[in-house]
Amino acid sequence: MAARHLVIGGGTAGMNAIRTIREEESERSSITLVSAERPYSRMVLPYYLDRSIAESHVFTATGKVLADWGVTAHLGKRVTALDTSASACTLDDGTTIPYDDCLIATGSSAVRAPVPGADGRGVHSFWTLDEARGVIAQIQPGSHVVMVGAGFIAFTILNSILSLGAKLTIVEIAPRILPRMIDDTGAALVQAWLKEHGVAVRTGAKVARIEDVKGRRRLKFAAGGDLVCDVVIMATGIKTNLEWLKGSPVKVNQGIVVDEYLRSSVPNVYAAGDVAEGRDLISQKAAVHAIEPTAQEHGRIVGANMAGKNVRYRGSLIINIVEVCHLDVASFGAWDDTGAEAASSVKADRPAYRKLLWRGDRLTGAIILGRSSDIWTVNDVGMLKGLVQSGVSLGRWKAYLKKNPFDVKPAFIAAKTTSTLLPETVLGRPSKAPGETPVAV
Amino acid sequence: MSVLKLHPEKCTGCLRCELACSYMQTGEYQPAKSVIRVSPFEGHTSYAPYTCPQCAEGWCMTACPVGAITINAVGAKDVLDDKCVGCKLCTIACPYGTMFYDPATRKAFKCNLCGGAPACAEACPTAAITYEDVATADWLGDFAVERTARVLAEAR
Repeated sequence: MAARHLVIGGGTAGMNAIRTIREEESERSSITLVSAERPYSRMVLPYYLDRSIAESHVFTATGKVLADWGVTAHLGKRVTALDTSASACTLDDGTTIPYDDCLIATGSSAVRAPVPGADGRGVHSFWTLDEARGVIAQIQPGSHVVMVGAGFIAFTILNSILSLGAKLTIVEIAPRILPRMIDDTGAALVQAWLKEHGVAVRTGAKVARIEDVKGRRRLKFAAGGDLVCDVVIMATGIKTNLEWLKGSPVKVNQGIVVDEYLRSSVPNVYAAGDVAEGRDLISQKAAVHAIEPTAQEHGRIVGANMAGKNVRYRGSLIINIVEVCHLDVASFGAWDDTGAEAASSVKADRPAYRKLLWRGDRLTGAIILGRSSDIWTVNDVGMLKGLVQSGVSLGRWKAYLKKNPFDVKPAFIAAKTTSTLLPETVLGRPSKAPGETPVAV
Repeated sequence: MSVLKLHPEKCTGCLRCELACSYMQTGEYQPAKSVIRVSPFEGHTSYAPYTCPQCAEGWCMTACPVGAITINAVGAKDVLDDKCVGCKLCTIACPYGTMFYDPATRKAFKCNLCGGAPACAEACPTAAITYEDVATADWLGDFAVERTARVLAEAR
């Protein structure tokens, strides 16, 4: 009998796993997908919000594509229980699905700050497609939008809100913005840049309650004056969707504990994406990254392993980029490692900042800020990623980079980074193009 | 497949490749929009072109959340404009620094080997860029080690 694969979750990790199973398997297997939502990419929702793409553009697999891939899809359904001893799961409509192996890739959900009124009218999260639809319907030119939270998710939709002609105020409980993406110096530069572009930022501001006043929203703070606006977006964090797994023997720490093949404590159950505590490439320790590129790598590795390969996972690199009013802000690896040797430099005449971090003569983390139109910034973004990812020994180039953090290219080339990187592949073979997934006959 | 083989010792720094590339890729004679980039070495006494090595992994392609990067008929990783939303994930996924972003079109762009007739190789007067059926390689590493010795000595 053909192997029966069950994929729980139709996000980045789940869909990459399905495609990779089809690419890698030697015998046609049966694949069942259970997903609470139709498969789409959350990464592109900001472009749906600013209306530069149609809603249809966000979907990563239509019904026809799933049929072409030979996937039995239970969409709009959730798994309520996993019986690992019987190797079967139960859905919220009572259906039971037996499996030979299973992938848990149920992702994360947005959480709202626990303040009175946070679940009221005119207060939104921006995480799912449904939530995006809700926000799109509310923002008009001239609307005043207050974003609660100044993390990565908030910043991904900042440009979209501005391009819709809305006025934006960002409110953050911490003393600074982007706390999990860049350091204090970088954050201060971005905050000044936002001010120049007409975005008000209020840091150290604790929202006490949100009230509805004559169809508008009033935010009251623990200290300082009220804010009245039309739309509130709560970007106050995410949490992994794992409650449904309670009572199962699958071991959970911060996320599902996995081995170097991304298997959980139950051998025929894998985990990938935001719910998996995979390995961090730099620290080599288990970590929940909750970022798109890690979910994609997890998904591909699990897919190959479900198809019978034995692909070891060497770990993923934390990489983040946001564009803030034509300023690129990116960070890689252990940019916040207080035990690392660091060098940084700010350009006095333009918004440009670099911070490089070393362990020994290897670059282990980097922060880079610069104008999007500056082609050297764009090149250096990739090269810094390459230096951190490859871990090449920089030798005497370390001293050069400490003095010249804006001149990455000669160090990248002369350290023969390309030679180290070229043989690297995630699955041990050249990648296939997205359109090359074998279809059912 | 054929790839761009770079011969840095033959490069004169004339930038004709950048002009040809930018015109082919974006319709403008604008070196800033070229996806092959010429860099100076040793205080502008020697030069080398640098571009996408068409790596086996295709970090740009696997990172794209909407499948907007594919492999074209000549084996090059290529951006499909109508699918690219401009999220820049490919620019941080590519470890070679060879993914580009055009603020005017809000699309990523990269070397696609001009579909099999690379404009840079045709424009190069000294054959410092050739289009050959060879395995991709680190064409510049050894050259750069030799031509940066003085700069490095000063950095100490």
